[in-house]
This record gives sequence, structure tokens and C-alpha cells, in this order.
Amino acid sequence: MKIRKILAITLSVCMMGCAFAGCGSDNAAETSKGDAQNAEDKSSASDDAETKGESKGYVFETGGVEIAVDMDMSTLEDKLGEPVSYFEEPSCAAQGIAKLYTYASYEVDTYPDGDKDLVASIILKDDNVATAEGIDLSMTKADVVEKYGEDYEESEGCIVYAKDGMKLKFILDGENLAAIEYNSSVLD
Amino acid sequence: MNRNRKRTAAAVLISVVIIVLALYFLQRLLMPKYMTDVVEGAMVAEYYDEEKDHDVIFIGDCELYENISPVTLWEEYGINSYIRGSAQQLIWQSYYLMEETFTYEKPDVVVFNVLSMKYDEPQKETYNRMTLDGMKWSRSKIADIQASMTEEENFLEYVFPILRYHSRWNELTWDDIKYFWKRDKVTHNGYYMRLDVLPAENVPEGKVLADYKFGENAYYYLDKMVKLCEDNGVELVLVKAPSLYPYWYDEWDEQMVDYAREHNLKYYNFLKVTDEIGLDFNTDTYDAGLHLNLSGAQKLSSYFGKILAEECGLKSRRGEAALEQSWKEKCQDYEEEIERQQKGWE
Repeated sequence: MKIRKILAITLSVCMMGCAFAGCGSDNAAETSKGDAQNAEDKSSASDDAETKGESKGYVFETGGVEIAVDMDMSTLEDKLGEPVSYFEEPSCAAQGIAKLYTYASYEVDTYPDGDKDLVASIILKDDNVATAEGIDLSMTKADVVEKYGEDYEESEGCIVYAKDGMKLKFILDGENLAAIEYNSSVLD
Repeated sequence: MNRNRKRTAAAVLISVVIIVLALYFLQRLLMPKYMTDVVEGAMVAEYYDEEKDHDVIFIGDCELYENISPVTLWEEYGINSYIRGSAQQLIWQSYYLMEETFTYEKPDVVVFNVLSMKYDEPQKETYNRMTLDGMKWSRSKIADIQASMTEEENFLEYVFPILRYHSRWNELTWDDIKYFWKRDKVTHNGYYMRLDVLPAENVPEGKVLADYKFGENAYYYLDKMVKLCEDNGVELVLVKAPSLYPYWYDEWDEQMVDYAREHNLKYYNFLKVTDEIGLDFNTDTYDAGLHLNLSGAQKLSSYFGKILAEECGLKSRRGEAALEQSWKEKCQDYEEEIERQQKGWE
């Protein structure tokens, strides 16, 4: 009788094991797909934010087009026009393709999210463009602090303002600005 | 009473065995096999089937396993080499793979590709898994896991991968059955062959960085590599593969030149000698300059083989019967794969 009980328990444990194997949630899928899935989760969050009209962090505006990190690049491509150059960077081991769109004074980099390409970063490269708050590369660290305030993180060669998960990064060359980056949290 | 106890103990023991076996089989079934779409996850484990008597071990990321052909090194210089490569292999992973390799063999030279110096902290679980799951259990693997884990990962999931992969049950394919016990080889002595061509165009310049200094952690492991090689009487050679992207900054190169000089190491930046190597990025790359294709890898191997022979003093091992036989078979596999890929296009 006791032995039967033990075997019954064994059988139950095995069945529980099978059930455990089958309890998979979608967001813990095969590791090779894990990153895309994580990105998908983040994207859903960002979509939700957009549909609810919530803030998307700091945004860059050019020619009347607003670009925010985590936006779907397909909604921007036509509005931004033909890039000066375009480059695809497939990641090792087929983990998706990052795309680099270089325009005259700025660059937009994307990250793959399922069948979408979302904006990973926007990089201002010269002083023909400025942030929506009016900072361009001809200005100084002091101008940035005056405009954006003292609530920033400073590390080697840059100061960073965080908002809604994204980061606005001012890269410094001494007291001058060398580049301005809007970065998605996927780059953290 | 005593007999009952024995029967109960036997039943408990059988139960434990059944549970352990069931979990083992389940785990084996659920773990990714890396045999078709993402073969890079199968590379690390292939080394264990090798006869471990290499002259040169290459350790590093895709800039080695896609850019160097050990077959060319054998055919042209009689150098017996192997690439212990994996996708986005981070420097601490290279260090622990090196440490583990030295428990099996002591090559004359270890070649390390320095691109991974740009990473100072753990990056992505996906890539960690591709390097770590294939390693046999050892002190090196344990330390490697601890050094590699991101904040979201935990050690137990590496010890019992079923905890990580249990949700793959609804993604299982025929491959999971087919490769349940045995895997196919996906490389040629660690080399991942690609024959296709995609010319390099519009390769971007590097972005402005806030700080060009390599991180402390990266240097810590590079120092450990130097020490490990010294302790084992192995020459460490640093290289930067001639991949056009990710961008290799002059500031980074200067740091490697300085480091090599200070530690009396050889350092070769092949980006500076692409013409000498004979690389044509219209024909010798399959992904617009990130990695070389077979044609490019053979040119680079031919160039580097000469350096290994002349500057590192590696002698040709042509004429060693067992090695000749082993390479004869490997060269045949290599040629068959070339034919297979060519046919795939037709």
C-alpha cells in the first residue's frame, strides 16, 4: 500500500513537471527570441503610452516632424525624406537588424521589434539642428544646464537628463558640446 | 518490518530516479539545439570532440569565427588551429574559455580579438546562453556564469536550464527530436563559413563617444589573460579583425598599441593592412563589411598564417600522419560545404 502511495506521488510529481513545462508564459520564450520579445514588451508599453497621449520623454523636431525614441520608423520614413545614407547592421546570430538612417545634420538608429523597426536613438551631429528646447552644438554645457536645469547625471564626458525612461545625453568636449543623443531605454 | 522498510526505501529510490530522469529528458528536449537558424549557440560545445593538440587557439567573437579559416592555415602553413568563438563573446567569457582550454591543452599561441574590450559589463542573456550553455561544467564555467549574468538572470537557471527553457514547449520543432542526443557540426574547427556576397556600402563613421577609454573590468580580464598565458607558457597575440563595423576608433587602437607595448605582446590591427591582405570589400564580405565571407577569410588567414609562421615561429606540422589524416577529412568536409552552399544558390 505504502509503495503504491510512493509511486502515485512519483507519478504526480512527473505530471506536475509536465504541467510546469507547459505553464510557459509568452515572455519567457526561447532565449534566441528573448530579446525580440523583451523589445516587444517595451514596444507595447510605448504604444500604450502614445495612444493614451502620455509623455514620450524628450522629443526631437525637424521640419515639422516630431521624432521620439521607440517610435515606429515606418511612420517617419516618408516624412523625413530620403536619408543621405542608410546602413543595416545585422546582429550576430540573427538577433535582428539595427538600421542607421543618416540625414544631413542628424542620424536615426533603429532596433528591431518583431516586424517593426523602432527608434533606438536620434543623434544631432551639427548645429543646423537643435533640440526642441533650443540647444544646438554651438552651445556650451552651461547653456544646457540653464535650459534643462540641474537635475542631471554627470559621467565621464557627458551629462544626461532622464525623462519617461528615455535619456537625453549631451556629449561634451571640454565645456563645449560634441554631440546630442536621444536614447531609448533599450540601449541601457 | 525490516523487509517493509527495504521495500519502501527501494520504492523511494526508484521514484527519485524516475523523477530525475524525467526532468533530465524534459530539459534535454526543451533546451535550444541551435542546429538551423541560430547555429552560433552550438559552437562552444563542438570543441570537446576535437583532438586537443592545437598550435593556435583563437578565442573571441564573430570577428574571429567568421574571419579566420583554420583550413587555410593548415593547407598553406601546416598550422593546426581551432577557433573557440561564440556570438558577442565578452572578454571575461574569452578569459574563462581560455582558462578551460588550458586544462585540455597548451597551444603555442592564443589569439584574442580585441573588439570585446569595448564592453565593460554583462550585455544580453541571449548571447550569454550561446557561450555558456555549451561549456562543460568546470570551475571555469561557474566563474564565467557569475561574471556574465545580467541582473535579470540567476545562477540556478544555468545549473538547471529547464527553469529557463520550460516555456519552449510550444515552440518545439522536429529539430528538438532530431538533435535530442546528437548534434551536427556547424563549424570547421570553429570557423563559420559563408559564401554569399553583400558589398560594403555606406559604412558609417563612428559616433562621437563621451569616453573612449576602455573600462576597468575589460582591462582586468585582459590582464588576467596575459598572466594566464604567461603562467602556461603560451604566447598571447592580440588582433583586431578587418571588420569595418562596429567602428574601431583610433583612440581604442592607441590603447591596444600601448597595452601591447607595455606587456610585450604582439598586436596586429588588420584594418590598417586591408590592401596588403588583398581584401576587396565589394566581394569579400557577406554582410556589407561586418564579417568576411569565405573569400575574405581565406585571404586574411593566408596573410596571418605567414605572420604566425614567421613572427611567432610556428613550424609546419605537415607530415604527421595522424594529423594529416584528420585534416584530410576536415578539408573534405570543408569542400563539401562549399559545394552545398553553392548549390543552395542555384
